[in-house]
Amino acid sequence: MANVGIVGIGHTKFGNSSEYDLSDVLAYAATDALEDAHFLARRKEVDQVIVGNMASGLFCHQSAVASALVSRMDMEPVPAELVENGPASGASAIKIGYMAVASGMADIVLVVGGEVMRKVTGWVGTDYVATMLHTDAEYNMGLTLPAFGGMFTRMYMERYGLTERDLALLAVKNHANGAKNKYAHIQAPCTIEAIADGPDASVVNTYVAEPLRMYSTCPVSDGAAALLLVNMDSPKAKGFPKRPIRIAGIASATDTHCVHNRKDPLKLDAVRIAAEKAYAMASLKPSDISFAELHDAFSILELAISEEVGFFERGKSFLAVRKGETDIGGRLPINTSGGLKSKGHPVGGTGVSQAVELVRQLRGEAEKGRQVLDPKYGMAVNFGGFGNNVVALICAKE
Amino acid sequence: MIDFSMYDQKEPKIAAYKCLKCGAIYYPAPMVCSSCDARRDPVTGKGWETFDLEGPCTLLSWTRLWNLPEGYSKKNMLFGIVEFENGLRASGQLEVDDPKTGMALHSTVVESDERPGDPVNVFVFTQ
Repeated sequence: MANVGIVGIGHTKFGNSSEYDLSDVLAYAATDALEDAHFLARRKEVDQVIVGNMASGLFCHQSAVASALVSRMDMEPVPAELVENGPASGASAIKIGYMAVASGMADIVLVVGGEVMRKVTGWVGTDYVATMLHTDAEYNMGLTLPAFGGMFTRMYMERYGLTERDLALLAVKNHANGAKNKYAHIQAPCTIEAIADGPDASVVNTYVAEPLRMYSTCPVSDGAAALLLVNMDSPKAKGFPKRPIRIAGIASATDTHCVHNRKDPLKLDAVRIAAEKAYAMASLKPSDISFAELHDAFSILELAISEEVGFFERGKSFLAVRKGETDIGGRLPINTSGGLKSKGHPVGGTGVSQAVELVRQLRGEAEKGRQVLDPKYGMAVNFGGFGNNVVALICAKE
Repeated sequence: MIDFSMYDQKEPKIAAYKCLKCGAIYYPAPMVCSSCDARRDPVTGKGWETFDLEGPCTLLSWTRLWNLPEGYSKKNMLFGIVEFENGLRASGQLEVDDPKTGMALHSTVVESDERPGDPVNVFVFTQ
């Protein structure tokens, strides 16, 4: 298989882009990535465009967005396809792009992931996102993704002794990182006093899905991110201004659609299996990873995923958070971008956004105050559904 | 004579599935038995039987949801995951005053028209 490298990255500022057309939001990030690679004028030499998007048909009443994107960017007749894998659509698009290059079918692939979710009201958006659940056994019952986040959190608390304050510590950490990230939706720090310890904390930090509170839940965001992938072994890889960041491992796995059908609903088998496959592909182990972007749509998932990928023993990750081990200056910084909690979560774009953060950190281009010291390997986990389709990505500096 | 039977009160049910080849039970419906690989044809149902999933169950986890989706007019709602005595599990709505993990519940089924689309049968777990 060919070595696949990332030579260009692009990212919109996450937040509210509801006044814009989804194609324009995707095109902005794609143009950014092509400019970063000094390839904008040669964009028709791209062999393949892959777009990750979860629900443009619902959120924007728009379909065939990959076709719209290439036309918006004057890239015809470059082939373009859409990849949909729920909130893991972005990382799945990267995986398909990787497969296109590694197989030899393409040398240069533009991967774009994005979503515009805020054209609809919050309650309509919550309903749309919930359609990824099992139609008869979950969605029709009235269940939503935050409902599963809440039930998962309660199970974890009752088994391992996690407290609501521990979840608030994650929010404080991730908001501190996001406050320094120019792309983050919420660029504001928060304090433990304001959201957990102070007299007004229960008002500031209200329940969303008990015991999950607002500061343990990601915002609804619009935005897009993009990568330019190249075959590092091809002559076409020469001439890019920045050294490629190599995709060392990428893998995905699935789990039962219904959460209740998992033998132990607290075990995220798809995360564990995807990570194991990515480690094997990269010939790496968890202790080799310098930093990670983990899909904290609900703060509990940062903890549970960090355990499934082997960073911490099961039920022990929140003890490491208490000690600051996952802070920027800690032993293993997690969600250096601010994570979904602070950077935001435009569902189909998140996986690509996580990869952009890996590249920025590995290039040493993250903002002052949130740059990890000399990282070598970064890992991202993009979590689809409630853990029933997960992609793990490992990027390497060399 | 006018036939009023269409107005008869229906008793909503939710079905679970049993593979007649090996006896494995499922909820919701599978297409293939994970124990013996027997195929289930959703049209004929041949080789499988259904039974009502109901009765006593135990609460495994629960949440009170405050941001309800389109269609729901309540301020908040309780949801839970339960395990039945036959080992099957289900997710649904919860109507109890003071939910506690591990508490004994009873499963009922109601017809609900809150979600967008046609009315559907919904589990409501009560004490």
